[in-house]
Amino acid sequence: MIFLANSEEKMNPLLPPLDEIIIGGVAFLIVFGFLWKMLLPKIAKTLADRTDAIEGGLKRAEEAQAEAQAELERYRDQLTEARREAGRLTEDAREQGAVAIAEMRAEGQRIKDEIVTAGHTQIEADRNQAQNALRQDVGRLAVDLASRIVGESLEDEARQRRVVDRFLEELEAKASATATSEKVR
Amino acid sequence: MTADVQTLASESGCHLFSGCGFPSPGLNVFEFKPIFSIGAFDFTKPMLLALISMLLVIGFFWSAFAKPKMVPRGAQNVGELGYLFVRDNISRETMGKKGDPYVPFLFSIFFFVWVMNVMAIIPFAQFPATSRIAFPASIVGVVYVTYLVLGIKNQGFVGYFKNMMFPPGLPKAIYFLLAPIELLQGLITRPFTMAVRLFANMFAGHMLIVTFSVGAWYLLGFHIGALFSATSFLVVVILTAFELMIQALQAYIITLLAASYISSSLEAEH
Amino acid sequence: MDGAAWSSVGYLLSGMLFYGGIGWLIDRWTGHSALFLPIGLVVGIALSLVLVFVRHGRSS
Repeated sequence: MIFLANSEEKMNPLLPPLDEIIIGGVAFLIVFGFLWKMLLPKIAKTLADRTDAIEGGLKRAEEAQAEAQAELERYRDQLTEARREAGRLTEDAREQGAVAIAEMRAEGQRIKDEIVTAGHTQIEADRNQAQNALRQDVGRLAVDLASRIVGESLEDEARQRRVVDRFLEELEAKASATATSEKVR
Repeated sequence: MTADVQTLASESGCHLFSGCGFPSPGLNVFEFKPIFSIGAFDFTKPMLLALISMLLVIGFFWSAFAKPKMVPRGAQNVGELGYLFVRDNISRETMGKKGDPYVPFLFSIFFFVWVMNVMAIIPFAQFPATSRIAFPASIVGVVYVTYLVLGIKNQGFVGYFKNMMFPPGLPKAIYFLLAPIELLQGLITRPFTMAVRLFANMFAGHMLIVTFSVGAWYLLGFHIGALFSATSFLVVVILTAFELMIQALQAYIITLLAASYISSSLEAEH
Repeated sequence: MDGAAWSSVGYLLSGMLFYGGIGWLIDRWTGHSALFLPIGLVVGIALSLVLVFVRHGRSS
């Protein structure tokens, strides 16, 4: 471009004077600078925000709903889990209770058995004692009876004793023979 | 060298039938006495108008965009309309979404040029700064540098000129004939036509309005001339309305061309 | 309407400028007054039209 300063004689409208070019260019760059750096970013952001507010509002609502749904799902899961846990605990308690009952039952049985055994032993001891006493009594009684019947005093102590013992041995032998024969049979 | 339409007509002070010829306006209506001078530098009316246009554009969009609201009102509404027009109808139409970084540039071109154009029909201003070739040239100069730099940056120095000179899809022999035209177009005629188109439209429009305004003044009188004068005045009104459209259209075209050239710098065509 | 329509003017001008210029040079060298210049202009316009067609006509 040619600098053609104020040449009023040669007015060529296609030849730009340099001072006007500079002023025009600087003015344009100032306009551009203000709009580019300060003003248009703001409005672009506002427009984007507005679009976001309209479109994003729907999206956000959807997201919130999905989130609520997920939350509900999670609570439901937790509830199910808790129920299962409770069921399991109940079951455990029941099992433990059953075990306890069984243990107590066994303990009772054992005590009962002990008592019964002790009773048996006592009874056996009593019976033996009674048997011994009985045997002496029966011997004396039989001797007395025999004396009376025979009319003769069997005073000789030794003799008496031999007779009674023989008698009792016979009795026992008879009894044991009977018992053996019963056992065999 | 007088400037204003009024001074031109009234200084000549002559009317039809008063014995003097029609003071036909010429190139002199585009030359101005300096408002003031600093040394060799003359500050003239077109420069003043360019600076006023600058302040108007910044001022308006400052009031519109400085504190943007989610729900727009007043100036912000209008400003947003302008922003969306440049972004959607110029930038995205030409380049798609990858043109968004250049929206501020295109936006500045559109509104600065438009306001300078509109100065043609604002009372007291009544002169489009863009009808002085220097102002379109300075803006186009910025566009020119922008698209050259962008092209070389994006496609490489060799790649850019290769893409510019050899559009794909032609037999090899014909490149020999077409490449010089492409080179000339890309480097010289493209910016030249871009600046001249804006300049010439505003120049012609201003010339027409001045001619008919001067004509209306010249024809003014008590004779049959009053009728001619009224007709001439009506033409001025119609032309003004027409110019209003041309001003916006030319601002749109120069912005569109800038977008188109930036687009061709971003990637090889087709 | 995109930039293509408006930039076709530039193509026409470029074609006329380049081939008209070549024609003018040939005229000067060969001593003709105006023989190759008009031929160059027409050839330039024709080639420009081809270019405009290639660049923009087929894409749409």
